[in-house]
Amino acid sequence: MATAIRRLLRELQDSQRDLAKEIALLAPVDDEDILRWRAVLRGPRESPYEGGYFELRIDVPEEYPIRPPTLTFVTPVCHPNVHFETGEICLDILKTQWSPAWTLSSTCLAIQVLLANPEPSSPLNCDAANLLRCGDVLGYRSLVALYTRMYAHCPA
Amino acid sequence: MEIKRWNAVALWAWDMESDICAICRNNNMELCIECQADQDSKMDDSCTVTWGICNHAFHYHCIYRWLKNRNTCPLDNREWEYQKYGH
Repeated sequence: MATAIRRLLRELQDSQRDLAKEIALLAPVDDEDILRWRAVLRGPRESPYEGGYFELRIDVPEEYPIRPPTLTFVTPVCHPNVHFETGEICLDILKTQWSPAWTLSSTCLAIQVLLANPEPSSPLNCDAANLLRCGDVLGYRSLVALYTRMYAHCPA
Repeated sequence: MEIKRWNAVALWAWDMESDICAICRNNNMELCIECQADQDSKMDDSCTVTWGICNHAFHYHCIYRWLKNRNTCPLDNREWEYQKYGH
């Protein structure tokens, strides 16, 4: 527990000093609890998510960084590897391939890369995955762009 | 000619890939994040740096905690084997 807090304080200092431009915001939700964070990702350029802002909730376990944080989309996202209703994300580094060398900020970047590089073979959103699996890239891009315009507004 | 005095000067540098322990993010030459907060603890002498055969270095305390979870190097994901301990 204490190790998690000390490492998170260090990560907070680092992200206050220098945050990747792909991440619009990365900070604890409030001063009371450093194990709960909030992030806002910018939609990757030249992807149908471009122009959108995607909010994530980050829950950090007491065993961090030995155990991975749980990241969940708060903004509804249309993506083969994101559950549209719960915001659950299917990404190996959040589960079996986690390494303590990841930070909250590099994990957010990995999710931003996942947005532009879907893996339709392990879907949490079958409708989005099926469009890609049957090669309807145009249909996929228009559907994603529609949802991005509908939900992914710049947070207040 | 007679040499009266000889002043030898040596330069040195740590021969390792990274100075920062990727697990706790403290410098490897300092104590790990846990021992640093608890400096009177008896663990102090055991808080040392250790290398895997992949040449990646971590605090012994940090890598030990991680290896109980999965026996891989946190930086390259290959199977972990200790190479050496100590400064």
